[in-house]
Amino acid sequence: MAIDSKKIIEIASKLQIASNEKGIMAAFGVYAAMNYNEFYFKVVSRVIHTLGDLKAPTVEQKLYNAVLECGYHTFHGIRTSMHWREHIIPMLSSPEDEVYALVAFTNIFGIGYIEIEELIPNKKLVTIVKNAYDPERYLIEYGKQPYGRCYMFSACTASYMDLAYGEKYPKGIGTFEAKEVSCRSMGNNICRFVAER
Amino acid sequence: MHIDFSPELNILKLDNVGVSLHCHHYNCGLIKAIEEIEGIDAYSIIVKAAQEEFYYNFKNYIVSHLSKESIDEQIKVAVELYKFMGFGIIDFSELRENGGKVYSNSSYYVTGWLAKYGRRTTPVCYVTCGFISGILSAIFKKSVSAYIVQETRCMISGNELCEFSIRLIE
Repeated sequence: MAIDSKKIIEIASKLQIASNEKGIMAAFGVYAAMNYNEFYFKVVSRVIHTLGDLKAPTVEQKLYNAVLECGYHTFHGIRTSMHWREHIIPMLSSPEDEVYALVAFTNIFGIGYIEIEELIPNKKLVTIVKNAYDPERYLIEYGKQPYGRCYMFSACTASYMDLAYGEKYPKGIGTFEAKEVSCRSMGNNICRFVAER
Repeated sequence: MHIDFSPELNILKLDNVGVSLHCHHYNCGLIKAIEEIEGIDAYSIIVKAAQEEFYYNFKNYIVSHLSKESIDEQIKVAVELYKFMGFGIIDFSELRENGGKVYSNSSYYVTGWLAKYGRRTTPVCYVTCGFISGILSAIFKKSVSAYIVQETRCMISGNELCEFSIRLIE
């Protein structure tokens, strides 16, 4: 069955992800919080700028790992939720469908629209994002970048494949590794991510 | 507080400003990653970024929605904003324009850090420090960095409350 991404986004966006009486947002087995996109950009870009291009990859690798854990655990929480069972599982008939559904579900968190360009089952996933927040900000603040700055989407791309084709949760994390092969911050017209074993 | 969602773009706007939702694995992992880098002052970088963003955005919010409201009402809205964004509960009742104390008995960063890494001996509510500083500067019409905020007690180390000391420096 082909996955209807629009329908998944519509279903997902109707979920009430809201703070409880203690001001804490617990959803899908994780604690969520909302913050300004510019806050994240400022924190990370200032660290990178302070470190310089030689040392920056070390911190970006740590941030990639943090997002990988974020994506892996959050998306697992999503795919085991009652909501997923009720509304999404009836649409799924293969691990590939699950990858498409998870990518679609990502499109409610406010991080820019991610979509699949190519999926080779159990081998490779290529995703693209046309409107990530950070690349344009890097261009404005720091000029053209020497390599891609969207570690967040790289790690998400790997996490979908880890969940669909890696060992059973929670052992499959890190089965796939993703790289950003083009980025708007480098002057490309699109951000593109490739996850492979 | 008003949220707008564009499903075709996956863009969330809180009162017309772009926001995103992230989980504790990332939010706490971000702090930890930066703290581990030699030569980087994680506290200053995170507090400053939060201070700036809450200052500019709340200042605009006051102009658009709260210009006729009292200081107490503006603080009440700031407390609601903090809760709405999922950062926890915060109490400004012992604070005056020139400083004082702010308390929290529910903290996102404490909850998230405990779940991911367990206890630590040093405070972890960096974003809250920036929030308090930025919000106060916006409400009392000071410059962005007019308030110095220090977390003097944090629940992450086993304290009953998080306590923030605030000082006006201009």
